[in-house]
Amino acid sequence: MSAILRLLARYRRATILTTTLVVSFLLMTLQVRHETAVVSFTRQVLLFTVSPFIKVTAATVRGVSNTWRDYVDLRGLQEENTRLQRETAILKRRIDQLEEQALETQRLQALLAMRQASRAEFLTARVVGKDATNWFKTVLLDRGSLEGVRRNQPVVVPDGLVGRVVEVTPTSAKVQLLTDPVNAVGGLIQRTRVTGIVSGNLGAGARVRYLPLMADVVGGDQVVTSGMGGVFPKGIPIGRITAVERRSGALFQEATLQPAVDLSRLEEVLILTTLEANAGREAGTSLGAGAGFEAGNGRRP
Amino acid sequence: MRWFLPGLLACVLAQAVLLGPLSLGGIRPDLFLLLVFLVSQRVSPEAATLLGFMVGLFQDALSGSPLGLRAFTDSLMGFLAARLSHDMYTDKPLALFWLLLGGTAAAGGITLALLTFFLGPPPLFPALLWVIAPEALYTAAVGLLIVWLPQFRAVLARAA
Repeated sequence: MSAILRLLARYRRATILTTTLVVSFLLMTLQVRHETAVVSFTRQVLLFTVSPFIKVTAATVRGVSNTWRDYVDLRGLQEENTRLQRETAILKRRIDQLEEQALETQRLQALLAMRQASRAEFLTARVVGKDATNWFKTVLLDRGSLEGVRRNQPVVVPDGLVGRVVEVTPTSAKVQLLTDPVNAVGGLIQRTRVTGIVSGNLGAGARVRYLPLMADVVGGDQVVTSGMGGVFPKGIPIGRITAVERRSGALFQEATLQPAVDLSRLEEVLILTTLEANAGREAGTSLGAGAGFEAGNGRRP
Repeated sequence: MRWFLPGLLACVLAQAVLLGPLSLGGIRPDLFLLLVFLVSQRVSPEAATLLGFMVGLFQDALSGSPLGLRAFTDSLMGFLAARLSHDMYTDKPLALFWLLLGGTAAAGGITLALLTFFLGPPPLFPALLWVIAPEALYTAAVGLLIVWLPQFRAVLARAA
């Protein structure tokens, strides 16, 4: 035993490097099929440690940018200006504020309308952070399990689908966006009712895969969620087809898709906390739980 | 070394919140990797490996990546940066830029290899074109600014 310890101490550098690499590799291996408790706990502890700072920073940034905007607006004013000019500037600023408030009200009204129109229950959340790498597309929300957020809950805005919750801490939640390379959502071409799998890619936009070779799909077709899998309700707009690719010898055709939501400018979102079973079928609308393949590709937690 | 934890917190906040408006085509500089490079110049390879591992874990937790992906990359890059810091030391901006570019591109290559192993092969050309190359360029440029700007100011101060 002591000989082993002596050997380890002698080759301390190599031991530490090998250990960290092996631990990292093991952590990744544990997540290939499904997330284990150890990985989930580690992830939550790390996220929980920094999420309060992120929330405070996001709030500070919002406050500072508002103050800066006010400062910039006011900087050009000088005391020699006439009263009329001052009033005009003040009025302009007020108009700006009102327009900003009106835009926010519009957004919130749209969220409210969506909330009232459907029979699902929603929770409004604010986007406070973005993915820390350029390889994946996730955002951090300011709501967590204390407010009822759970994994796999769909996240939407009035324009359409945003993604799904993949990680929850008591006070924050991580959302995998529609454009994340390892995301997969069951999609339905609204015009022809052809189904495919929508997933992100490393560039901009997303792709619709596994479209039958003979299926009628053209640029401009609207794609909505198929509802299969029970994670996403049926009929939420995903985006529009921009181009269709048919490769010779391929079993399926693929299409590129422009998401309905501008995912780079998300501010407030809705988390669907509960989905009432059969709500869509009864109401003749899109909400409803189905069964089948969906909710990620199964290779990621 | 005493700046490591504040630096890590600053990286977390910058990468998650502050760098959004500075992203070019959705790409942001990898400040975590820069932190690993910078810290590794001042500590032993063993410490650099462990600090890289810690930085990587935080980066993984704040990302959609599997836990361990960036921890693997950052601990390896930390070890290499610390091990080679004496041999590769330079204060010439262009050489420094190329070193940072090479280091970031290597980290991107390792990440791509791990993603291929665990999640299946991502399309190589888009990965190079949309992630590895722009991230390496942007990170190297920002790293150069961070490292070289204080030196430049010192030169100006001496000249004055």
